[in-house]
Amino acid sequence: MTASPTSASEPALLELRDVRVYFPITRGIVFRRTVGQVHAVDGLSLNLAKGETVGLVGESGSGKTTLGRAIVGLLPPTSGTILFRGRPVAGKGAASDRAERAQLQMVFQDPTASLDPKWRVGASIAEPLRVNHVGTTAERRQRVRDLLEVVGLSPGHAQRYPHELSGGQRQRVGLARALALNPAVIVADEAVSALDVSIRAQVINLLQQLQNELNLSYLFIAHDLAVVRHLSDRVAVMYLGQIVEQAAAANLYVDPRHPYTVSLLSAVPVPDPTVEARRRRIVLPGDPPNPASPPPGCRFHTRCWLRKQLGNPERCAEEEPEHQEVSAGHTAACHYAHEVPGNVGLSTVGPTVEPAS
Amino acid sequence: MSEDGQAPVAVTDPVLRVRDLSVRFDSGRNVVVHAVNSVSFDLEASGALGLVGESGSGKSVTSLAILRLLPPATARIAAGEVWLGDRNLIRLSDREMRGLRGKEISLVPQDPMSGLNPVLTIGEQVAETLRAHEDVRWREARHRAAELLGTVGIPRPGDQLKRYPHQFSGGMRQRVLIAIALALRPTLLIADEPTTALDVTVQAQVLELLHQLTVERGTAILLISHDLGIMARMTQRIMVMYAGHIVESAPTEEIFARPSHPYTVGLLRSIPRVAGVGRPLTPIAGSPPVLDQVPRGCPFAPRCAWALDVCWREMPPLAPPDAISFSGGPRSGGHLLACHNPVAADEVEGGKPLQPGFRPAPPPEDGLVTGETM
Repeated sequence: MTASPTSASEPALLELRDVRVYFPITRGIVFRRTVGQVHAVDGLSLNLAKGETVGLVGESGSGKTTLGRAIVGLLPPTSGTILFRGRPVAGKGAASDRAERAQLQMVFQDPTASLDPKWRVGASIAEPLRVNHVGTTAERRQRVRDLLEVVGLSPGHAQRYPHELSGGQRQRVGLARALALNPAVIVADEAVSALDVSIRAQVINLLQQLQNELNLSYLFIAHDLAVVRHLSDRVAVMYLGQIVEQAAAANLYVDPRHPYTVSLLSAVPVPDPTVEARRRRIVLPGDPPNPASPPPGCRFHTRCWLRKQLGNPERCAEEEPEHQEVSAGHTAACHYAHEVPGNVGLSTVGPTVEPAS
Repeated sequence: MSEDGQAPVAVTDPVLRVRDLSVRFDSGRNVVVHAVNSVSFDLEASGALGLVGESGSGKSVTSLAILRLLPPATARIAAGEVWLGDRNLIRLSDREMRGLRGKEISLVPQDPMSGLNPVLTIGEQVAETLRAHEDVRWREARHRAAELLGTVGIPRPGDQLKRYPHQFSGGMRQRVLIAIALALRPTLLIADEPTTALDVTVQAQVLELLHQLTVERGTAILLISHDLGIMARMTQRIMVMYAGHIVESAPTEEIFARPSHPYTVGLLRSIPRVAGVGRPLTPIAGSPPVLDQVPRGCPFAPRCAWALDVCWREMPPLAPPDAISFSGGPRSGGHLLACHNPVAADEVEGGKPLQPGFRPAPPPEDGLVTGETM
């Protein structure tokens, strides 16, 4: 967790190469025709090393969840490849190997919706074992008991129904089910967002503890930037289906280089009134554009405050920016990444850092 | 701000005075849920008062009780007074209350989709509020509706009147709801998790707007949220609610700098703070109580590291902390606390009692506590 492995040194456990997921927009009932496409994930590359946590942040509609679902095989990518241990598991040339797939698991946002209300909790946890023909009935029962203990519940909970559990307990069950097949990678899609503050802390600590014990890799999808920073080694920021910035967590929050990241960080309320009173806030105009027709050039140029400051250069509207390395392991997809004023990350850094007045 | 009228700082009379408000839900088979218990507070004009707490703590029920919008079949206001100016809202007839809602008190609900009628245009819904309270013609009401939409930052308001809610984004819908809430310049705005359904950048826009409107129009805001960051940004004073009780109430800066109730300390320690990256979070042990079983003493006692024997027997009143029992540093006059054994200043950092050999008191054997609290 603290050792922060950067992808360069270790081979990636999970590798995404130029992944695209498009959803067709159709018209007509009898003669259905495709009239457009929603570019939910649009040419995205990302690595995840063993034991690493990569945080994925972005607003709703930025494609975070679609990406997560593509990784665990719930959605086929339109193009691009997802490699697990160097072998394609989705996209071009993917073999449909169930055992391999089982290594990639997902924890969903809403623990109430992701558990069958008519099944006892034990049956839900045992389902992945049953589907994959793991062990005998007795062995599976034992495994369920063990898993419940791993996630901090008691074996007796196996006999309960989801409605008998609290939200935090249900999320622990969701986690136990994800762990059933000894996965290497867990995609946690807003896994703690629906929980109350005090319960959320319990589940976050559990996630960290499991990672240390089982050497898991997490792709942690969330909109809560403070939680992401707390858990992640690296953070990737998504905007309209693309990663716009990627860096070590510590680095990204202190020295953001993409104007979108800067505004995102500045918009997050900080639980400290003295910081709140003094910090500079960049309020973005309008809403994110429609992913069915992303703006040309840089996708962020329509709302970009930096572009305005620089006198609206044409380049932003015409040329799509490449990822450029701003420091070791820190890339930003902005033509003017070097023009982003330093010290703008201050705002979110919290009570210890002096805000510029 | 203080209970007994020694409020030297208050320049104006409070807009809203809530006294000993208690709400009960009858949930069948003689089960009574104690949702809100003896809640008292004041709110001044232009003031922003925050109400924090976890789900089920009674925040929303408190706001619905003030608005008299509780479901009449199951909920009842068991005791208390709610004074808006010189009228006690609890005593008003339904008809009088209808005349007040939207005009003097407004609500900005949490979910911008369910707050709007999907089959009426935006223009009709904003104009409807105006027409309900004032004798204006549709034409004029529509004209004013367009103006209002403009005030809340909706571009080309004239063109938007004929559109339906589904054609608006979440942030825009929330703006429409704010426009409706502010249409008649209410003195009090209750905002129940107004930005929970929104993205951070849009949330920033909406908070900015709310703030601006309070400053310009002098509207008082009762802001309900579980997000301590929003509270830090928006409010002057925060009340912390647990199991239907206000357990701590203090100026915003002070709540963060010098929390004194073990629950407040627990809440602050369970949110990731950027200053303490890498350190594990300190969750509050256990889970919130079920409110159909009323523990005799403090409802937080089962989860509290500071619990004394007395905590299991008696709920402490919300009062200024006692100078003698209280060993930690100065605090301002507006600090109110409901705790037998407050957290000392030097204990906040570590989150546990520093008194050597201190053990939280176990639950009494004689069954004073009714039911389990998990």
